[in-house]
Amino acid sequence: MIFVTGPLFSGKAGYARTLCPEGELLLNAHELADGTSDLTALAEELAARYAVITAAEVGGGVVPVDPVQRSQREAAGRLACLLAARADTVVRVFCGIPTVIKGELP
Amino acid sequence: MFTLIVGGAASGKSRYAEDLLLRCTDTPRVYIATMEPFDGECRERIARHRAMRAGKGFRTVERYRDLANADVPAGCAALLEDVGNLAANELYGPGGAGEDTVNAVVLGVEALLKKCRTLVVVSNDTHSGGADYEGDTARYLRVLGHINRALAERADNVAELVCGVAVYHKGREPH
Repeated sequence: MIFVTGPLFSGKAGYARTLCPEGELLLNAHELADGTSDLTALAEELAARYAVITAAEVGGGVVPVDPVQRSQREAAGRLACLLAARADTVVRVFCGIPTVIKGELP
Repeated sequence: MFTLIVGGAASGKSRYAEDLLLRCTDTPRVYIATMEPFDGECRERIARHRAMRAGKGFRTVERYRDLANADVPAGCAALLEDVGNLAANELYGPGGAGEDTVNAVVLGVEALLKKCRTLVVVSNDTHSGGADYEGDTARYLRVLGHINRALAERADNVAELVCGVAVYHKGREPH
């Protein structure tokens, strides 16, 4: 599995679409983390099912005052780490420019 | 030569961008300022940047919107600072481009590239602080993200500034 991350609106989806057919692609995995009791199981399931997964880097900036937003951000970050750990390749897209930060592209 | 510098708040973008311009031999050096002095905080920030540029031989051109018609001399070395302000002025300010902000900014930079021999553009990474945004903020992030990608595609060199250190994602340090 190839995990694609980067800031919001940095071009992750556009890049990911160049890597695999639409059916093997999961966009915005950070949105799935919220309210999931077992993030590890979720990461396992997603990594087995998709060839390419994208998620935004959401951990920068000030810790949100709102506890719901805080826990969403925590979960999203943890899921991203779990996915990156299971990925053969991790790519970070910055201003539309992909950089391989783990492994290599197939 | 077009270099795009992107980074978070107080990451050293301005100082690095100025240094790049000072090291190039093209003259005159022009600073294109985009921040409108709305209030005391803006004025303070502008004063800090003016002090930083003092004695470095920059001619300042204030341009809050409509970059395409900025009056810069042919063959100059220009520093545009910053795209985050320019985009906000175009998107929300009176007389701004509104829905057409991405085009206004990108075509504005294209117009500068026709006149400048060296162009350094400073833009902002406002995109790494969570995904939970709505309304005007979400719209601004989408627009600025789009502009940053378009400029990066056009640029010869793209650097991300991290604690004052330039990390090149495309090209290399120009001079």
